[in-house]
Amino acid sequence: MLELVRDTYRYRELIWALALKELKIRYKRSVLGFLWALLNPMLLMLVLTLVFSTVMPIKIPQGHYAIFLLSVLLPYTFFSQSLTYAVESIVGNGDLIKKVSVAKLVFPVAAVVSNMINFLLSLIPLALITIAMGHPFHWTWIYLPVPLLALTIFTLGATFLFAVANVYYRDVAHILQILLQILFYVTPIIYSLDQFPRRYQWIFKLNPLIYFMNGFRLSVYYGLLPAAPSIIASFVCAFIALVFGFWIFRKHQEEFVFFV
Amino acid sequence: MLDSNIVVSVENVTQRFRVIHERPDSVRELFAKFFRKPVRYSDFEAVSNVSFSVRSGEMIGIVGRNGSGKSTLLKVIAGIYKPTTGRVNVHGTIAPLIELGAGMHSELTGRENILLNGLLMGYSKQQMLKRESKIVEFAEIGDFIDVPVKQYSSGMFMRLAFSVATEVDPDILIIDEILAVGDMSFQQKCFERLREFRRAGKTIIFVTHVMSQVTENCDRTILLEKGRLILEAVPEKVVEVYTGLVCPEVRAPDERADVVTVGSEL
Repeated sequence: MLELVRDTYRYRELIWALALKELKIRYKRSVLGFLWALLNPMLLMLVLTLVFSTVMPIKIPQGHYAIFLLSVLLPYTFFSQSLTYAVESIVGNGDLIKKVSVAKLVFPVAAVVSNMINFLLSLIPLALITIAMGHPFHWTWIYLPVPLLALTIFTLGATFLFAVANVYYRDVAHILQILLQILFYVTPIIYSLDQFPRRYQWIFKLNPLIYFMNGFRLSVYYGLLPAAPSIIASFVCAFIALVFGFWIFRKHQEEFVFFV
Repeated sequence: MLDSNIVVSVENVTQRFRVIHERPDSVRELFAKFFRKPVRYSDFEAVSNVSFSVRSGEMIGIVGRNGSGKSTLLKVIAGIYKPTTGRVNVHGTIAPLIELGAGMHSELTGRENILLNGLLMGYSKQQMLKRESKIVEFAEIGDFIDVPVKQYSSGMFMRLAFSVATEVDPDILIIDEILAVGDMSFQQKCFERLREFRRAGKTIIFVTHVMSQVTENCDRTILLEKGRLILEAVPEKVVEVYTGLVCPEVRAPDERADVVTVGSEL
């Protein structure tokens, strides 16, 4: 664990350069360039808002569905995009790994960092929409770094795990896409957990993502802070994921060069 | 020579690769294999029990036929492969030129690539920015430095890559056949750079198929054959033995396919 922190710090410049490269390449030669990073979740938000506030309305307090949705959709996009990029990060950099002696952890970490930049930028339109819709701009926004930290730790753990698995079985990248789609619907993103009777809610609480997302939605939409058990649960899940993911990654990293 | 002068020591290094004949590349195949026979594989020893050491300031040549384990050995020294058994001790920074432009990304500009490459080799951003102008100067790419490298000619690309790898001032330089590429003037320049390196007392480990490069430049030469170190001697001696190894093949009618490659490399 200490090794992870030490190496991340040691290779911070490389990780940062790789993350910027990732972003640069993703939006190169597109007219709107970096704006796509912000437009994508916004367009998805528009469609979902249209469906769930007019076609089949979902009852939520205060009625600002767009903000209700975005407060969780944005962190979920950070999570799913990080995984989507990181799962290919070892295999995709195979040429490099075979020719340069480099710490392997920089690749999945850089994928998470580049998506983190995306996420932080997407908070700007969220803030603008909040103001435009006349939704109160809660002081609890300053609490956001806490769920973000937990989610980042969790995401890192998951990316390590999937990046390793994909080295050995390339199916993993495809399986991941299906998993992310399922997760999108079983996590309260487009709906609220309160819409379900209390005695069924425990089923949703088996999904670790709910604890991170809870923090985002409460602070951005409701202006509340999550209860202590929920915060603790989020960090426990996060650290379990990271310890397990990095353990697997460390165990196999010397072997990557033979399989990529 | 004192032991403290040894900068690279290779001790009983064996590098084994598992060659899996029917590697289940996907879960579907894995399931299919699960119910039938186990996966077949064989172990292939690319490098067998090789030991040698390189002293500071030496230029060591490594020669051998295709598949004799030269590149694998270099990759073990560069830290890309962890040896199956044995140990490699390296004192000082290594710049491995296993392939020119390995860390280059075609969409990034020359300047961005210089930084990324340097960081990949373990140098800091500050160190790279300091050397940037010298790198650009040696590579002779002028205004193209801010153009994505995919628009470079292959010559420009190689000059930039060589320039980055050597301008970072490593203690030990590892070169794998790369000097076979590029035009005459570029090759001249590369060798001039290598001589500068030697004058500065740096160490070079050098793989090539061009025997004249070995005899002209190396202090000592190692001959590999089927992964084993079979001779370590002065270049002239090694070239003689190596030529003897290769030449009988030239006459063997059943190995004609090899003749063309080996012959042209000589």
